[in-house]
Formats: sequence, structure tokens, C-alpha cells
Amino acid sequence: MDPLLVTQALNVLYEVVTLAVIVLGLAIVFGLLGVMNLAHGEFIALGAYVAYVCQSHGLPYLAAVPAAIAACALLALPVERFLIRPLYDRPFDTLLATWGLSLFMRKAIEIGFGGGYKSLKIPVSDSVLVLGTPFPAYRLLLMALCAALIAALLLWYRRSVAGARVKAMVGNRELAQAVGIRTDRLARDTFVVGLCFAGLAGVMVAPLVSVQPYMGLDYVLRSFFVLVVGGLGSPLGLLSGAAAIGGVESAMSALVDRTAGYSTVLLIAIFFLWRRPHGIFGRS
Amino acid sequence: MTTSLARRKFLIASAAGTALIGAPAFIRNASAAKDFKIGMFYAIAGPAANLFGPTQKACAELAVEQINARGGILGRRVQLLFANGDAAVADATKSAVRMLLEDKVDFFLGSHNSAVREALVATIKARVPYVYTPIYEGGECSPNTYVIADTPRQQMETVLPWLHKKAGYKSVYLIGNDYVWPQVTNKYAKGIFKKLGVSVLGEEYVPLGAPNKFEEAVTRIKGAGPGLVLITLVGGDNVNFNRTFAGFGLDKNILRVSSLLEENTLLGIGAESSNGLYGCMSYYSSVDTPAHRAFKTAYRKKYGDKAPILGLIGVDTYAGVKFVEAVVTKAKANAAAKVKSAANGITFASATGTMTMRNRHVDKDMYLAECKGTEFQIVETFSNVKSGQTCA
Amino acid sequence: MNTWVFDFEDVTGGYGGSVVVRGLTGAVAAGQALCVLGRNGVGKSTLLRLLHGFLPLARGSVRFAGRDLAGLDPARRTALGVSFAPQERIVFDDLTVRENLTLMRPGHPLAALAPYFARFPRLAERLGQHAGTLSGGERKLLSLLRVLAEDRPVALLDEPSEGVQSESVRQMATLIGERKAAGAAFVIVEQNLELVEAVADRYLILDQGRTVQAGDRSTLRRAELVAHLRV
Repeated sequence: MDPLLVTQALNVLYEVVTLAVIVLGLAIVFGLLGVMNLAHGEFIALGAYVAYVCQSHGLPYLAAVPAAIAACALLALPVERFLIRPLYDRPFDTLLATWGLSLFMRKAIEIGFGGGYKSLKIPVSDSVLVLGTPFPAYRLLLMALCAALIAALLLWYRRSVAGARVKAMVGNRELAQAVGIRTDRLARDTFVVGLCFAGLAGVMVAPLVSVQPYMGLDYVLRSFFVLVVGGLGSPLGLLSGAAAIGGVESAMSALVDRTAGYSTVLLIAIFFLWRRPHGIFGRS
Repeated sequence: MTTSLARRKFLIASAAGTALIGAPAFIRNASAAKDFKIGMFYAIAGPAANLFGPTQKACAELAVEQINARGGILGRRVQLLFANGDAAVADATKSAVRMLLEDKVDFFLGSHNSAVREALVATIKARVPYVYTPIYEGGECSPNTYVIADTPRQQMETVLPWLHKKAGYKSVYLIGNDYVWPQVTNKYAKGIFKKLGVSVLGEEYVPLGAPNKFEEAVTRIKGAGPGLVLITLVGGDNVNFNRTFAGFGLDKNILRVSSLLEENTLLGIGAESSNGLYGCMSYYSSVDTPAHRAFKTAYRKKYGDKAPILGLIGVDTYAGVKFVEAVVTKAKANAAAKVKSAANGITFASATGTMTMRNRHVDKDMYLAECKGTEFQIVETFSNVKSGQTCA
Repeated sequence: MNTWVFDFEDVTGGYGGSVVVRGLTGAVAAGQALCVLGRNGVGKSTLLRLLHGFLPLARGSVRFAGRDLAGLDPARRTALGVSFAPQERIVFDDLTVRENLTLMRPGHPLAALAPYFARFPRLAERLGQHAGTLSGGERKLLSLLRVLAEDRPVALLDEPSEGVQSESVRQMATLIGERKAAGAAFVIVEQNLELVEAVADRYLILDQGRTVQAGDRSTLRRAELVAHLRV
């Protein structure tokens, strides 16, 4: 097989699964709680900076995983209690509030770490032969981890009692309360978990991108496109959205160039907003 | 009227006895009736602000401090007025009008992109001299406008032949952001490649300001297999491209030249991705000259440990302010005709030594740097390289 | 003095600022059913929602086993021992029948529900199906089954027989009777005379948010009921 074709195919796959993980946290808080979190990208940045701190203190890279989860949870708890909870069912206000939060977090990161770039060492720097052509090992590892993470979350959501309770809360909040589910706590936990996933995504991509206070902005627009195409509240939709946006963009970039990738993605997003506002699998 | 005048005098008197730094802006304006005002546009807020803004401001203020310590320009205390140059063209234009009409600035200094420069030139209409400092594509010959910047000729005519002689690359791939500076730079570089007999295997541009990923481009480059990649990407794109490039292992066989590779960008690229990466600019913080040592000492003394990282875009505002001092002192005025004749051939201080202005551009020493980890190692110095610009 | 397992006094309240029910008082002892009767729109559902904390009381009090429930949200009241079956959106459409029944009792064997399934075999056949695919009557059965499976001392049921076939209503009445015999108490909003006559120990007839008549089984007259239930 043409080695370049293999590499480009892997690039497309890489883009799809990493994008899915990047959107995961946003999809959780938006799809399940109806909270449009404009600070999603900043929690990704927070995860990346935690990874940077861990690495610059000589800790193994895996140490960044619990550290980032802890940092995101510590921040997400008061944010949920004082910013999000009073604004449930007021989407526009939530939008404004999380936008303010994103500004605040960007500034805080800039004050703490400076405005310049940070670079993280890639934890696994070798290449692995895939069908006879070398591909960076960390990217392969990342793809596997992302796929495993998504699969685990899907399985948890579909099979576990906690997943069923979340589904119950989302589908019928009043009945959920009637059967004894403390929906305020469950919503809080769901929000925190969503933001922890954002932080986790930050840890995962940090060694591959430019880490700087405004990096969160890089992820927000594309994440929203994924939700537009995939629709809300359906894990299958998330995957198909990531495949449509990430896959098409990557494939067009490989076949033509980046500009063609962006234009195509923009056209897809416009088409969905126009013809299928609830996404591929979304319900009205 | 009388009351307001009396009040004004009272304010001036009290301002003189007050620490000026802490005084509110209106008092400072009132006391600064005879100050020499420089209207400075730099990246206060916008995509480039967090990277370049702090250094641009710090370097310009260091120059002003040094000039004022020696008595100012023509005996007038120098004062910087700031406006955002990383803004939309319309906003920058508004700031320029305000500075012209209300603040009545004596000189403009700009460190921003070419779109804003063109708008400022059209707004100022040569009523006040204007010096433009950051690296750019060349071609600015508007009246009463002066340029400190590195030009494509100064960058390309040095590094490309030198590297060809050293490494003998036979082919090249060009990648840059999609705007005028990379395209003009590449056009200039292709002329050099033609003379060297180097074939261009590919040329691609990615959108400016988009969160670009480079896996596909790097794979394309891998397939093309050039000896050299000429990179005219800026900021985060430059970081991401180089990290992806090395991540895919291409750094082992392919040399890279990056046109705008300054200290912050190299920190982002990181030590493990900078192997075989070269740049050629008029400034690196590792340049070792007596003037630069003195500059760095003064800079550290003024700003301490938290000083913004030094880099080309920042230090050129220092040279810009020093140019203003030199040219106005020599012309004894800021009138267009006098400044123009004083400017030609004038020598003024830069962070690393001196620069000489000819044809309203600067001939300067260029440094060829090879990346060693996150440090620039100067491997060659080219003295007094011509800008290649011939403004009348 | 009777010991009530669930009682309420002077219950007054409604939606937002408007008062829908005023000064309602009632009580049930263990093993009893209190039926709340009246035409559509007289405030029966509002009363149940006030009793379970979905709506705030403007005045009055609600007690479970003598404990004042003021300030407790619905989930806490349920956890204390009061089950609730609403009139609308009565099951989790996105969950399977099995999940609907075991949501709050993970690991609890469905076998314990075998006697119930024996009466409603159609549900037993649809355990793996999403509840959203059930018919209206089947959902009502599932809703009742969920409450019975929870096995709490008190259950508040809002029109359990609405849209249910008469044969199944009889089965419902039998089940409620069995649970009463086992000591459970019910507050049931109902329009179906057959079910009311079968299970009611006490009753409360509402009109325009106020009590027009209250009493126990001995004073329950079919003719009066019919007059009050005519829509």
C-alpha cells in the first residue's frame, strides 16, 4: 500500500478520535444539562497547563491525569454552584456567564504563566511501523486512549445504573426527583465530570500543540460544529459529528489543502443548521 | 476661563511635586504641554498581544527612559502615547486621528501588521513623520514614512545561500500563512532558489488566524522529500507545524528555515522539535556584542526578573525610538522635509549595536542562528546587509 | 387518638403567585387509602404536588409519620418513605421497562416482582423495551408497578387508572388492596368510581380548590360521587 496513503488515513482517524474527545466534555454538559459552556476550551487549557506544571516538576506524564482532574473538579464545583445552578433553563444567561468565565480563566492563566508559549516534551517519542510506514507512537497511543475513553464512557452511559439515572434526569427531571434522585447533585456531578473530561483532553493533546493562554479558543468553534452536525444528547451523534467535521477537514486538507478543509467544514455546518438543525441523529 | 487657567496652573504646580507615575492621566497631560509626544501603536489587545505586546512596550519605554535621562529630544521630555495596533483597521485609524488632532503627537511609531500600516499611512497623510518597526515584506515608500524592519532580502539573501553552501540542499518546500508577507518572502526566495539551481517541490499556504493542524501538510512534505523547508508561518502555526514536523521524524533528514522564529516561538516549539531549524534575523537575544550586553543589563535593571522575553519584534521598537531621537535631533525639527534629509545615512542605536538608514529603510547586521534546544546559537554574522528597498 | 402515617393540614398553594387549593386537610393511617375526588381542574393534582414538595406551600403543613416535611425537596420526601406517581410524563421514556423498575434499587432481583408480573404479563414480556414505546395504559401499569416495587409506607398516586382497560383497573384495585393489607397507606387522586369504591377508606371531594365533603367509607354515597365527578 502507498505509505503516504496509510499515513494520511491515520491522520484522518487521528483527527476524528481526538476531536471526539475534545468535544466530549462539551457534549456532556450541553447535551445532558443544556448548559452551553463557552469556557470549555479554557478547561482544556487548564488541563494542558497542569500537564505543563507536572512535567516541569519532573513528574511522570501520567501524574498529570489525576492532577488535571483534581484541578478541573476544584474549579468546576464552585462554578456550578454559583454560576451555573442559578442559571439552569436560562441558556442565554448561561452563555454570557460562561463567556465571562472564559475571559477570566484566560487572564488568570496569563497572569500565572505569562502570555508566551510553553512546550511539553512528548511522553513517547518513538515511531511505530503501521502497515510498513512509520507513524508517531504518541499519536497512535493517543488514538487508542481516546477510542478507549469514548468506548468506556459509552458503555458506562448505556449499562451502568448511574448512567441510567443521568438519562432519567435528562429525560424527565420531575419524575427523577419523584423516584428519589437528588437531581441538583446529579447535575452538579455531571457538570464536574464534563469539565474534567475537558481537562483530560487538555492533558492528552498538550504535548502536540502550542500551549498558551488563548489555546482554548482554538477548540471552541470546531467543537460547536461537531455538536451542530452530531446533534445533542446522543453519543452516536457525537461520534458522527466528529467524523464529519474532523474527518472531512482532515481528508480535504490531505487531498487539497487546509483552506479547502475549512471551507468544506463550514459548508457542512451551514447545511446542517439550515436543513437538519437537530443533527444527524438528533431529536426535535 | 480664568478659573480654569488658574486651576490648570495649580495642577501643573502640584503635579511637579507629585510622583508622576501615580498621577492620573489628565494631570500628566496638563503638565506635558511641551513634551515630545510619540504616538505608539503596538499589540495591546488582540492575537499578537500576549506574545509581543509586553516586550514592545518595555523596549520602547527603556529607550524613552534613556533619552529623558540625557535631557530628552531637543530639550523636550519624551512621552509615549499608546494605541492598540493589533486592532481592526477602523479602530487603529480612529486612534491615529485622535492622536493627530487631540494629542498633537510629534512622531508616530508603529509595530503592527501591514494592513494597519497602510491605514495609518493613509490617515496620517505625511502630516507627522511615521516610523514602522517590525519585520515585513518591503515596499513601503510613502512620504514621511520610515522603516526599521528586516526585509525579505536581508533574511533570504543571507541564510539561503549560506545553508546551500553548507548543506547542499537540492530541493525545497514552501509553507506559510496566507497573507502578503509570506507570499512576498517566498517570491523573493524563489528567485534565489532559481539562481542556486534548487527546485521548488511544493508551495502551500494555510489561513492566518485559524487553529491550523499540520499532520496532512507534514505528510505531503514527507512524500515530496525536499532537502529544505522554508517556513513563513507565524506564531502558533509556526509552533504547531514544527512540533508536528519533528513528531513525524522529518527533522532527521530535512533542514528547516523559519522566517519569523523568535524567542517565544522557539520556546513553544521546544527543544526536542528544534533540530535542524535555522533562522536569520537582525536580532536574537543570544547575540553577543558589547552594545547588546549593555542593553540587556539596562533592560534587566529596569524590569527585573519578570521582564518580558526579548525578541526581534520587541527590540525593534527600541531602535525605532532611538531613530526618532537621532533624526529629530539632527533635523532640529519634525518637519517632513527636514526629517527626510536628516534621515538619509543617519546612524542610530539598536539593541545590538547601530543601524544606518538609507532610502528610508535600514541597512543592518543580520545574524544567522541555528537552534540548539530552545536557544539560538549564532553561527554567522552578515555585516551591514542592504535592505534592498530603494525609496526615493 | 388515631396515629396517622401521613397527614396534612390547611394546605394552601398553587403555581407561582396564584393559589389553586385552599385550606385542605386530610390524613391516612397505615393500611388505609385516602381518595381525592372532584372534577377536572378543581386542584387535585395541585394538592398532590404540594404534598410532595414540587410546589411550595403558601400555608399549612404536611407530615409523614408525625414528622413535618417542610423544607424537604421531593427526592428527600421519597427517600424518607413517600412514593409519588405523577399524572403526566409518568415513566422514563428513554429507559427500558426493567430500568424503570430498578433505577433506584440496583442489584434488586426482578424476581421479587413476579406476583405483579403475573397480573400484568404484557409488561413482563416488554422488560427490555424502552418505556417510550409502551401504550398509554401500559405506562400507567408500569408507573403503578414502579411505586409498588418501591415498597414505601406511603404512596401518592395521581389518577392511576386513567386510560387503563377495565380488566386491568380491577387488577390494580386488587394490588392496592393487597398492599393496604400489608400496611401501606395511599393518597389517590382518582375519577374512576369502580377503583374508588374498591379501595377508598377515606375520601375528600374538592371543588374549586376547597373541600366540599370529606368522610370515611361509611358516608361514601355513589350518587353524590357521580354528581361531583360529572365533567
